[in-house]
Amino acid sequence: MAFLLRRLCFYLAAFVAAATINFFLPRLMPGDPVQIMFSSAGAELPPESLQALKLTFGFVDGPLWQQYLTYLGSIFSGDLGRSIKYFPLPVTTVLGNALVWTVGLMGTATLVSFALGTFLGILAAWRRGSLFDVIVSVGAIFATSVPAVVTSLIVVFTFGFTLGWFPTGYAADPALDPAFSLTYFGSVIYHGLLPMLTLCAVLTGGFAVTMRNNMINLLGEDYIVMARAKGLSDTRVMLWYAARNALLPTVSSLAIAIGTVLGGSLVTEVVFNYPGLGNILYQAILARDYPVIQGQLLIMTATMLVANFVVDISYVLLDPRLKRA
Amino acid sequence: MKTSSFPLIHNRKAMVGALIVAFILLVAIAAPLLTTYDPSARVGRPHQAPSLDHWLGTTRIGQDVFARLIYGARTSLAVGFGAGLLITAVGTALGIIAGYRGGKVDEVISFFTNMVLVVPNLPLLLVLAAFIGQASPWVIALILGGTSWAWGARVTRAETLSVKQKDYVKSAEMMGEPRWRIMTFEIFPNLISIVGINFIGSVIFAIITQATLEFLGLGDPKVVSWGTMLYGAQKASALSVGAWWDILTPCFALAFLGIGLSLLNFAVDEIANPRLRTGNRLGRWSALIRSGEGRL
Repeated sequence: MAFLLRRLCFYLAAFVAAATINFFLPRLMPGDPVQIMFSSAGAELPPESLQALKLTFGFVDGPLWQQYLTYLGSIFSGDLGRSIKYFPLPVTTVLGNALVWTVGLMGTATLVSFALGTFLGILAAWRRGSLFDVIVSVGAIFATSVPAVVTSLIVVFTFGFTLGWFPTGYAADPALDPAFSLTYFGSVIYHGLLPMLTLCAVLTGGFAVTMRNNMINLLGEDYIVMARAKGLSDTRVMLWYAARNALLPTVSSLAIAIGTVLGGSLVTEVVFNYPGLGNILYQAILARDYPVIQGQLLIMTATMLVANFVVDISYVLLDPRLKRA
Repeated sequence: MKTSSFPLIHNRKAMVGALIVAFILLVAIAAPLLTTYDPSARVGRPHQAPSLDHWLGTTRIGQDVFARLIYGARTSLAVGFGAGLLITAVGTALGIIAGYRGGKVDEVISFFTNMVLVVPNLPLLLVLAAFIGQASPWVIALILGGTSWAWGARVTRAETLSVKQKDYVKSAEMMGEPRWRIMTFEIFPNLISIVGINFIGSVIFAIITQATLEFLGLGDPKVVSWGTMLYGAQKASALSVGAWWDILTPCFALAFLGIGLSLLNFAVDEIANPRLRTGNRLGRWSALIRSGEGRL
């Protein structure tokens, strides 16, 4: 419990740090921060909404600490300001709609590649030195050294544009109305499959290598030798004795991997024209929509922190030693 | 030893990696000898397919793709190695200081390290780059150095903790050597393998991230690099008009370089001091991958 509480405080501090960066960045730029944030977008804002925007970003009259507190206050009350490009939509609405798609895409891809990678890693370690191991190891190196943007572009070019097997944009057929119908769900899956598989191709290798190495280190342990000596079946030793313990460090590395997934997902969405956070962000960058870009950092940080916390909880559940700590 | 289950493959990997990187380096250096075209000038009709005149075709605005490829290699390599050096220097220094000094110093450094690790890297870079505007390659290298050192610091700290227990460090302390001397001459040389792996991992990471930032439109479009090539091709809808040479050229170049550098990472591990090896050969490297270092 104390462990989780400590982590929670740490995550809160990390979030405030991200917010602090957001607060100081526009103020560090040469010139008037308000000018930079709201004028470079080239959008015409009515004066009263400009006033409201200034308030959200802490541009109030007063000393810096007062501006800072105003800013933190508005963030913690869930106000990230309004988008300049999609004015007058609040940033939270713009990002909230997109977050659903990103989390869906990212979540599925992470789960699939985690399961697949772990499984491949277990088998590779069990038959280490074999052809299968070489293929998995070398394949993992290749998959992990190619940038997500490159993998995405090649996949979308091959299967989307050249072969025409999959759509090259949108999360569902734009002609369909969002509804809880089989056609709509089918369309969502059809549109999401290619970006999801791309993310899996990017991620699986890393999980496989981690699992393989954890396994190999464990296979020399006495309790594995003991289990074999008892005459237990290979599958039982592999899965219940070795893999179970090797999984623990993998779960903790999953927490750090989430940041990678977020980054990869951003780029993949841009390439696939998928309406998630990545695409919104891309549009925001093109339009220099600073409130959206900044809101993105906060939402992504929050997502990452929540995911990390979930991993912490599962770690406590998996490792009984931590419960006592 | 379990690490040498297939040593031939390992050596071959290292060789191939070194060859790939050397080849790209050579092409980048010899760029003016290999093409007569100016990489930024309009030298042909728009979106021409590869031909004898233009080996890799032309872009939407009629630039020669081959010229852009080999001149772009200069930028990508320079930023990669520059930022990689910066990331490694900061990470190593902080890691050794935290690990060796311990106590309050360690607590403060470790707190910041963990904090940086937990804030997603790419969104942070995007915000920074967005405020800077059209960031030049060197500015990108600088902000990469400033934001991506955390994993190196954490790994180096962990290794330092084990090295500082060694007898030669203890005896150096007994002899009253100053702390900076112990850190630079007793500890650092024994961390060279982890520093090398961190360095190559950071180079890969920097090259990929620079390309990604530029692809997203945060770089200076006038600069010739693989990232701006991707950006230009994407903006010109090269994929939907079927100009595959425009977009696949930088794609394969980046993939090629990434694979070469990753393979080279094994070479460093081979040369490295085996006494420091804690896991098997792939262990630390895979830890770097998992952290997202070396890839986005």
